[in-house]
Amino acid sequence: MAVLTIKNLAKTFNVGTPRASRVLDDISFDVRGGTFVSIVGPSGCGKSTLLNIISGVEEHTSGDISLTSDSGGPARMGYVFQDPRLLPWRSVMKNMMYVQNDRSEATAGRCRKYLEMVGLTKNADFFPGQLSGGMQQRVGIARAFAVEPDLLLMDEPFSHLDAITARGLRAQLQDIWAQSKKTVVFVTHDVVEAVELSDRIIVLQPGGRIYEDITIDLPRPRRQTDPTVATLQAEVLGRLEAMKTLSRTPSSAAA
Amino acid sequence: MTDQLVRTAPPTDPEAGAKRTAKRRRLRLTGLVILGWVAMFALWEYGSWWFGSRLLPRPIEVFQAGVEIVESGNFVTDFSASVLKTFAGFAVAAAVGAPIGYLMGRYNYWRAFFHDGVTIAGTIPAIVYAVMSLIVFGLSNLGPILAVALVSAPYIALNVAEGIRGVDKSLVTMSEAFGRTPQQIRREVLIPTIVPFVFAAIRMCFAVAWKVEALTEVFGGRNGVGFQIRTEYQLYDIAAVLAWMFLFIVFMLIIERLVLAKSEARLLAWRPQERSSAL
Repeated sequence: MAVLTIKNLAKTFNVGTPRASRVLDDISFDVRGGTFVSIVGPSGCGKSTLLNIISGVEEHTSGDISLTSDSGGPARMGYVFQDPRLLPWRSVMKNMMYVQNDRSEATAGRCRKYLEMVGLTKNADFFPGQLSGGMQQRVGIARAFAVEPDLLLMDEPFSHLDAITARGLRAQLQDIWAQSKKTVVFVTHDVVEAVELSDRIIVLQPGGRIYEDITIDLPRPRRQTDPTVATLQAEVLGRLEAMKTLSRTPSSAAA
Repeated sequence: MTDQLVRTAPPTDPEAGAKRTAKRRRLRLTGLVILGWVAMFALWEYGSWWFGSRLLPRPIEVFQAGVEIVESGNFVTDFSASVLKTFAGFAVAAAVGAPIGYLMGRYNYWRAFFHDGVTIAGTIPAIVYAVMSLIVFGLSNLGPILAVALVSAPYIALNVAEGIRGVDKSLVTMSEAFGRTPQQIRREVLIPTIVPFVFAAIRMCFAVAWKVEALTEVFGGRNGVGFQIRTEYQLYDIAAVLAWMFLFIVFMLIIERLVLAKSEARLLAWRPQERSSAL
């Protein structure tokens, strides 16, 4: 069943002014429950705007967007931001509890479970300032999973981390995702990362149209060292290169 | 050429050397602190010899007067009266200043409305507030409280406004994204952000406030340290005036160091630089 359905979505900034600019144009796709979908594209292609519209932070100009929940109630969303965004004056555990709707023992248990999955059980009573950047981001990931969201939105969560830390966190994210089977929409500019993590990659081109919708059918868990993963990464990267040269020629931009 | 690449460790342990230098520097600093105190007392002794000990009592006489005050037990009621009035003034200042500061930090319109008034209120000399409070309340305990409140409120308002403006917007976005209510955001994001600013305001005000409090008592108090200083002044007992003053200074420094600094360190334990002092 589709958790997220987007139909003919468009977004124009500064509507009705000379500075009006269309950042998203005729976007249609749906995301089935339990799948991991990445949105990739060069910077300025509108992928962050798309995420903001899905999350409700920004309004769209036209088109439809609908979100359904398994439980029948209002759909719950979880977020992982580029930076960890933890309350510096609350301990790790209290940060986890802050975004929960209730303070029950069951909820606390769930928070502890996800903290354990990211390997931070021992740090539950630490303040964020006592953790490294990578550890803080792991808390951010655990926090988002712990709200048991119908849809989990991730906005380039590894882009501020060094390569080694990011690689470790990607492996960890795959494990948590495999266990929880949450529906994830993951925004990144890193195709290699997208191939490693996703079931499906939606490629946006400059101007905010969908260029390609690629299904990644590889067994999990995927590791960067796996040659089949590397081959596919190279192939997708090649297709994106083609898109870039295509969009640079004026004739195709007009088409 | 190649022998230059081989570097042997220096013969002495560099860490031990650094420790020795640090120790020597510490000793020198302590020596200068002691020297400063000796110079201060020497100047005082010289002054009382020059002016005569009736006009400027010798340190030992002041010390004896202080011992007498402590032994008589008077100081407990007067000190607690002064301290209570200071904190009552703070409470009033916080009750008035914090909401104004909140509005100023949160809304540009309110900022425009309050800004100049608060700035002017913060620039008026403390003595003017003391005199005004005396005119309003006459000989009463309310005068010193009002004076402290008037002196402190502008500082608290400005600091709280600064604190609110420093709130991390990304934490507010995060809270909204996870569906937190405005009350939760206020309690978990806004208030913790302004606590350090309020503490800075209180500590800054405290240094001024107890002086204003004592000053107001000198003119129109019915008890408290300032009242005692006036009484001794009327008896022309300069040694006792100075003794009350010194006892008050010591007492207030203890409050500032132990009570304010400690509670600040505990409340702000999440800040890396505060953590060591909180434990």
